[in-house]
Amino acid sequence: MKRMLITLLLLLTVIPSLSAADSKIKVLTTTEDLRSIAEYIGGGKVAVDSIAKGSQDPHYVEAKPSYMMKAKSADLFIRIGLELEIGYEELIIDGSRNQKIRIGQPGHLDVSKGISPLELPIAKIDRSMGDVHPMGNPHYWLDPENAKIIARNIADRLSELSPQDAGYFSKNLESFNDRMNKKMVEWKEKMAPLRGQKISVYHRSWPYFAERFGLVVACELEPKPGIPPSPGHLKDVIDIIKRDKIKIILMEVFYDEKPARFVAVQTGAEVVVVPNSVGGTREAADYFSLIDTIIGKITAGFQAPRKE
Amino acid sequence: MNRSLLLFIMILLTLPLITADAMGSDVAQVQAELTALRAQFNEMKVNYEARINQLETKIVDLTRTYSVKAAEPQVSAPAQTSSLGRYFQSFNPDVSVIGDFVYHGTDQKGTEFRNQFQMRQTELAFSASIDPYARGDFFFHVEQEDGDWHIGLCEGYVTLLSLPIDGLQAKAGKFKVDFGKANKLHLHNLPWVDYPSMVTHYFGGEGMSEPGVSASYLIPNPWDKFIELTAQVVNNRNGTSFAGTSGKDLVYVGHIKNFFDINEESTVELGSSIATGSNNEGHGRYGKNMTTLEGIDLTYKWRPLQKGLYRSLKFQNELLFSQRDRPYLDDGTDITDSKRIDSWGEYSSLEYQFAKQWTTFGRYDFAEFPGDSKQRDNAYSLGLTFAQSEYCFWRLQFKHTNRNYSKDSNEIWLQCDFGLGPHRAHQY
Repeated sequence: MKRMLITLLLLLTVIPSLSAADSKIKVLTTTEDLRSIAEYIGGGKVAVDSIAKGSQDPHYVEAKPSYMMKAKSADLFIRIGLELEIGYEELIIDGSRNQKIRIGQPGHLDVSKGISPLELPIAKIDRSMGDVHPMGNPHYWLDPENAKIIARNIADRLSELSPQDAGYFSKNLESFNDRMNKKMVEWKEKMAPLRGQKISVYHRSWPYFAERFGLVVACELEPKPGIPPSPGHLKDVIDIIKRDKIKIILMEVFYDEKPARFVAVQTGAEVVVVPNSVGGTREAADYFSLIDTIIGKITAGFQAPRKE
Repeated sequence: MNRSLLLFIMILLTLPLITADAMGSDVAQVQAELTALRAQFNEMKVNYEARINQLETKIVDLTRTYSVKAAEPQVSAPAQTSSLGRYFQSFNPDVSVIGDFVYHGTDQKGTEFRNQFQMRQTELAFSASIDPYARGDFFFHVEQEDGDWHIGLCEGYVTLLSLPIDGLQAKAGKFKVDFGKANKLHLHNLPWVDYPSMVTHYFGGEGMSEPGVSASYLIPNPWDKFIELTAQVVNNRNGTSFAGTSGKDLVYVGHIKNFFDINEESTVELGSSIATGSNNEGHGRYGKNMTTLEGIDLTYKWRPLQKGLYRSLKFQNELLFSQRDRPYLDDGTDITDSKRIDSWGEYSSLEYQFAKQWTTFGRYDFAEFPGDSKQRDNAYSLGLTFAQSEYCFWRLQFKHTNRNYSKDSNEIWLQCDFGLGPHRAHQY
């Protein structure tokens, strides 16, 4: 009897400490960019985890059961949307059995709300076009101005979930926007000399970034989105790069460098390998350093001496 | 006079010093002012550009609120043709058609479609949310049997997603029973051309799929690991291990799935399964003859984070044990002879993806028969898959089978699977 009482007392003391640990809003994001922004806005009031890692291709993430366990305890699920996560999101949410984070619930946030998507198909699309996205190109997070919209969406939803902390979140949002505005000046200054320059890319993931900083994407190494480069297509790419005197081939860390290196040898262009997501390389530790890294590598690529 | 002269000289001497000094201080002052001005200008520039950026954000915000407001009253008329199409289609289920086409060459006589082409199966898949609480999935198979085309329901079930008990999910309808790994897969999802003999000998040609109910529960645990317990009750109509088409009772199935992340790149899944039911229609004169199957499955998967598009490995193993009470003899005389048949089967499969579109694989099969443990076969398979895209693959497989009850055989397949429509993403 005495022992039972002690166990009961012990249990009673454990329970409050458990619930105290749980007072943070548990956020699960699909990508590390969202994790970085959610951490900035949520600060000490949130505990954020991410499904995809920055060095991974965000299109091909497998719905591992361990992700379902992460989703099971989440209060808020945040996705990029525009069907970027179509390959795994539904399986993870269904598998988690977590009602709070189902689509349409307050615990499910699509941060593409308010974004102006690029490459919206204007006619019927089909798979002969490769991996085209019916709702527009989903790589919008690579435009820092869109990061502000993402941050706003996250702040709004966190405030909805925890109204008593709304002031805290909006202060963090303000600081995020201030910092972003200052960084924007720096980034634009660095990219100013490259305005109007043509670039070649591996995958169609750079239209938002290119539009913001005045670059022009002249050609893609993939013949169609998601379709691996073929020798015939690479020949066309080489011709375009030579004709337009394109200086760089921009590609993400997770693609095969071989086709890009082949084109580089044929044309003298510089292969610029960059992370397209936070955590893609060590330097890209948060959203700001991600853009720093991308811009740093692109400008360095343009300055590299041409190897003829 | 002398004094004034001295003073004059002193002044003359200091003058250059003073002027030099004054001039020096002038330059320094101008320089300082210039730096200050420059700093001021830079600061102004940063401030103005920051302000411009702020204004840009405001414009974006304003257009956003404006567009939201503008969109509100006219939800029914989206601007884009594609989204209009999507809007009208959004209440239709996702419809997919998947074709499985093979050429089967074999030295085993009597095989249907021997050394011929065959449209082995066409799967029609429909899936959609039914309401906020449930999802529905249907899989129809069209196959050719004795020259005629038949359509059959492979699976058709409702999944209840929101049950009052946290972590519980339930299924009702006809579905592939949760025994091991390979039994649950459809033909086009297999990493090989054919099912392992462990599946075909114990569950029949395409595995065991029966009408019934299923409940699965995520067991809470202090390590936050994925431990899923599934319990199913289905009709006893499987003829390979159980009572067959005239079965009048039920089969009980249980499965535990444990999943561990070794690191970000490798995972291990360890599962155990059990299925039990009568094998003599459940109403024999001398009591029930039971069959019990136990299974263990172990799968190791590796996929590097950064180069995951180009490399991966999967090592999958399953082991199955069967205890089958020998069917009674109807005249009742031989009842003392009734005894249990213990048999087993297994397979081991290794798949290695060595390029974005290429995977090679090998599989070893061993299986006895549930009704006769003295008859057994083992087989070695080797193959190569070329994934043209996510929706179409080509596969070449060679298989050599040793049998102790009939002739050994060699088989070769060329398979092409192709899918239309948004077939639901596959389970990990």
